[in-house]
Amino acid sequence: MSELLITLLTIGLVVAAIPGVCNYLILLERKMAAWMQDRVGPNRVGPYGLFQPLADGLKLLLKEEVIPKHVDRTLFVLAPMISVFTTILALAVVPFGPVEDAPSWLRFIIAPGIDIGLVFIFAITSLAVYGIILGGWSSNNKYSALGSMRASAQVVSYEIPLGMSVVGIALLSGTLNLENILTQQAQGGILAWNIWVQPLACLLFFTSSLAEANRLPFDLAECEQELVGGWHTEYSALKWALFFLGEYTHVITISFLTSIVFFGGWHFPGIAEPDSAYMFAWLVKLLVLLTKVFICILLIMMLRWTIPRFRFDQLMELAWKVMIPLGLVNVVMVMFVQQFQLSRLWLVAGSVSIFAAWGFLSATAKRAHLSGGKKRPATHTTGHGHGAHAAGHGAGGH
Amino acid sequence: MPTVLVNNQPVEIGSDERLNCIQAAAKAGVEIPAYCWHPSLSVVASCRMCLVEVGDKKPDGTVQMQPKLVPGCQTPVKDGTVIISDSQKVQEARKATLEYLLLNHPLDCPTCDQAGECYLQDYSFRYGRGYSRLQEEKNIKPDKDYIGDQITLFTDRCIMCTRCVRFTREISGSAELHVVSRGSHEEIDIFPGHPVNNKLAGNVVDICPVGALCSKDFLYQQRVWWLKSADSVCPGCSTGCSIKVDQNEDQVFRLQPRPNPLAQGHFMCDEGRFGWKYVHSENRLTTPEHRSNGQAIARDWDTVLTSARAALRKAAQSGPGRIAAVLSPWMTVEEAWLLASFVKAIDPKATLSIGNTRTTALDDHYPKDVKGRVVEPVKFTIRAEKAPNRRGVESVIQHFDGDVTPFDETLRLATEGRFKAVYLVGGDPEGWISDLQAEAFSATDTVIIQDFLPSPVLKHATHVLASGTFVEREGVFVNHGGLAQLIRKSIRTPNDSRPDQRILWDLSERRGLYHGETVRSEIAMAVDSLRELTNPLLAENGVMLNRSAEPAGVTA
Amino acid sequence: MAKREKSVMYVEEPEIGFWEATFVPAIVEGLRTTMKHLVSRETVTEQYPEQKPDLPLHYRGVHRLNRDEKDRVKCVACMLCATACPAHCITIEAAPAPKDWPDRDKFPQTFELDELRCIYCGMCEEACPVDAIELTHIYDLTGQTRDELLYTKDKLLNVFDKTRDNPRDPVRTGRGVLGPASEFQALPTLGPATQVATSDRSAKIGTAGVIESGTGNVTDGGARS
Repeated sequence: MSELLITLLTIGLVVAAIPGVCNYLILLERKMAAWMQDRVGPNRVGPYGLFQPLADGLKLLLKEEVIPKHVDRTLFVLAPMISVFTTILALAVVPFGPVEDAPSWLRFIIAPGIDIGLVFIFAITSLAVYGIILGGWSSNNKYSALGSMRASAQVVSYEIPLGMSVVGIALLSGTLNLENILTQQAQGGILAWNIWVQPLACLLFFTSSLAEANRLPFDLAECEQELVGGWHTEYSALKWALFFLGEYTHVITISFLTSIVFFGGWHFPGIAEPDSAYMFAWLVKLLVLLTKVFICILLIMMLRWTIPRFRFDQLMELAWKVMIPLGLVNVVMVMFVQQFQLSRLWLVAGSVSIFAAWGFLSATAKRAHLSGGKKRPATHTTGHGHGAHAAGHGAGGH
Repeated sequence: MPTVLVNNQPVEIGSDERLNCIQAAAKAGVEIPAYCWHPSLSVVASCRMCLVEVGDKKPDGTVQMQPKLVPGCQTPVKDGTVIISDSQKVQEARKATLEYLLLNHPLDCPTCDQAGECYLQDYSFRYGRGYSRLQEEKNIKPDKDYIGDQITLFTDRCIMCTRCVRFTREISGSAELHVVSRGSHEEIDIFPGHPVNNKLAGNVVDICPVGALCSKDFLYQQRVWWLKSADSVCPGCSTGCSIKVDQNEDQVFRLQPRPNPLAQGHFMCDEGRFGWKYVHSENRLTTPEHRSNGQAIARDWDTVLTSARAALRKAAQSGPGRIAAVLSPWMTVEEAWLLASFVKAIDPKATLSIGNTRTTALDDHYPKDVKGRVVEPVKFTIRAEKAPNRRGVESVIQHFDGDVTPFDETLRLATEGRFKAVYLVGGDPEGWISDLQAEAFSATDTVIIQDFLPSPVLKHATHVLASGTFVEREGVFVNHGGLAQLIRKSIRTPNDSRPDQRILWDLSERRGLYHGETVRSEIAMAVDSLRELTNPLLAENGVMLNRSAEPAGVTA
Repeated sequence: MAKREKSVMYVEEPEIGFWEATFVPAIVEGLRTTMKHLVSRETVTEQYPEQKPDLPLHYRGVHRLNRDEKDRVKCVACMLCATACPAHCITIEAAPAPKDWPDRDKFPQTFELDELRCIYCGMCEEACPVDAIELTHIYDLTGQTRDELLYTKDKLLNVFDKTRDNPRDPVRTGRGVLGPASEFQALPTLGPATQVATSDRSAKIGTAGVIESGTGNVTDGGARS
């Protein structure tokens, strides 16, 4: 079969699967949210609400599209397309199955053998922020503009730790090609999974991916309490749906990346080894990978309903004061280990100690900030103290 | 200066002032509650609400108090009088009095029209005991639906203060109301076949301190706490009674007299009190029109005003004296000024005239005795001249022209075809021009009419400027005695009509919004007889334009 | 002052320790909680159309205009409800009562209540001196036009007829054991103020706004619940 046909088939498969998968992920998320909150969740459409995604999709398709008069029409229409296009494009270099073991009529990656796979993904996914910025700006609405401004600041900030976290992996594996990174881990056995040598990088990667995808607890850009709907305040119907399609595709992408870069992709000891030669080994490997991805998505959803939203200054503080320094130190550590040919065990110890050191530093700094260098009043009935607190207190008590 | 001590607070009173304890205390800012006492009625001291402790301060500094409480309304003060209104004794007396007054009162405040402005409520709240010890059944007397055409009596609410009885005896002189029976059977009543239908009858509703006498016109229309009041002047005649216009949501509900010693005193006549209904007439002109051959060709202010202005200018270009403006005695001084100065600016030779001032035969003086003869001293006058501001408008015209061209003269000139354009201002709700007079303008090219009700001349109109009534405008009325008072806007003009001052402001192409004080200071600068218009007292009881003139009509 | 001192509680920002600074225990604890609920699958949801809600006794739903014992509208058109209404949804036109109602001066000729504008705060009920307007337990108010939900006097009286025998509705004002204020017929001889005990109530009340139990009809409603 010609290369072109297979490529087209794969593209068709991916593009066709994504809306459906996303729809059901939304149902899953709603169900999980309901269960965590002791509710029932969607249960009216079909058994256990299984047809809910279809109903939702149909509704969004048939709904009246409102384009307010005051918007910039071109960009307003373009924005959701950019959002979806970029996130789906990023999937092009993600191997969503065992590429080498695939049957001849199937291929598990749209664009195989891309040497700059990781860089490509980061480049493309960070383009997705254009969708948000343009959407917010063209809406000509203060809330939308604020939302998109937040989004741009946030994405630019978290881009750095995101990139930094995989530099270590790239140094260790000597490649940016996702397939090669995966193969190396698979060949080395479970102990070669990058999570063991780069746990800190994994944490940084996962966290900043969430921020890149505007997922809770980092969804400041569409923070309902403050910004109505954030950048998509003015959007409705299908265009609104496209934004969320983009967001969920992004979730899928980062789940794939996390599984592939840190958790050995389709490899699982004893079940899916590189030399497994039994029938349908490719199917087993595919299922192993999808399971890992699924667990990752579940974790993201769990986090969404567990951790409250950050305040914007806290969000920025986390990026610039914690994650970027940690990422830098991590890269330096990897360079050290590589340069001096040290045992990789040092990386494990190093990661843990860096993390601990930052925790300690941060606690100390916080304590110093709280006390403000002054002694706090011992009891409340004595009049001294400082600041407005003391003033109000004094007026009330004495 | 004689000095009175009110609750240990010295108050100086004028040496020729004859005050009672209530008035002296009011000077000190102390309220002494009273029901039966009214400043313009005789004193009966029957309600006992104003009981206070009174004493004398001797020249040697000792104070000798009278042993019993005395009614404040009946006790004149002199130098050295000591009034105590906040002692335990006085408070106890008030509580007892209120409990007594409320013995047979039905306490039906929810359904009573007076609730909200009722002295029984106010005083019970401030001075009352808050409960009654009466165990027996209340003594309920049947309501009297017909006391007069406009008045109904809820007999059970009455506290027998006899203010209304004294009013009909002393102010209107007609003496329809009286007290029948004695003791707990006392009731206010009329003689059979002699209802309270005199021209001042509505005042008994105002002076009733409780909800006993109610106006049929206002009955159950609104709760009084919803009403918003604006101080204004009655336009019914040239007496220019000070009034309050009570409105809610652009709907006038009643007019009430506002005590003004410079104008009319405490009261107003029923003609004025109920004569505002045309404000909400269905015939009101509500859209401006530019007409051509009797057909409206424009109905928006911009076009109509522009074309009216252009028509006037065009007429002025055809030669001097081809324009006439007929001002109305219903206009305010400011409006007259704006129109006159605008017309004179276009054509200095323009004719300024004042429209028909409706008059009845004679001024109607009160009190009258039973045979209808006026009894001196006169306490209230309904003027024969049924327009509020003839004097003010005339002063403005005199400033421009020296003398006022009579309306008939203007009509004659119009019939002769002297005018190319006339500007007619209406304003009299009972009609200011007859069919015959209107024909004078049948051949005039441009007839601009500024009015709020249709009139015979409307069929000749080329421009109709839908204007406002007195409750929709602001400005100054000058009454028959030269008292200038402010009328204030209380409601908005209906639909697309506009208050006159705004029409004229826009017509004369002034910038921004109408601002009364600016116009008044402009008038005061230009017109010597109107220089008092900048006096800040204008906003209160008004100012006499001619200081030497006696404030006529001040009685009661 | 002393009371205020006591009621003020000073809260200090908790000290951040090492583990708190790493966020790890907090996230783990949070995930533990959500996981527990995720697994336990106990729901508190009511399946509404099939399962009717168990409303609290003080629930405030659609209004009704009560009738007196002669089946006339109890309202005396005092418009206190319209005055008290924060949403301005009540419009009353009053008129002198019909001639064959000798005990009444005034009655509502029209009584319109905009159920869409209403915020169901119950202030009208509080304000009513004759217990004529009440909020019932009817919560499933629907209509296809705005006019349908502009309740007129007839509709409101109809609501009363429907809920007259509902044991849950006559709770707050206690139908059948209404206080003397609502018995308008008795009002001229026994006004509301005369109902107070022969000592000064205002002097007895220690704290403003606190009405001691055992007097008045406050407990009548409570006893039924």
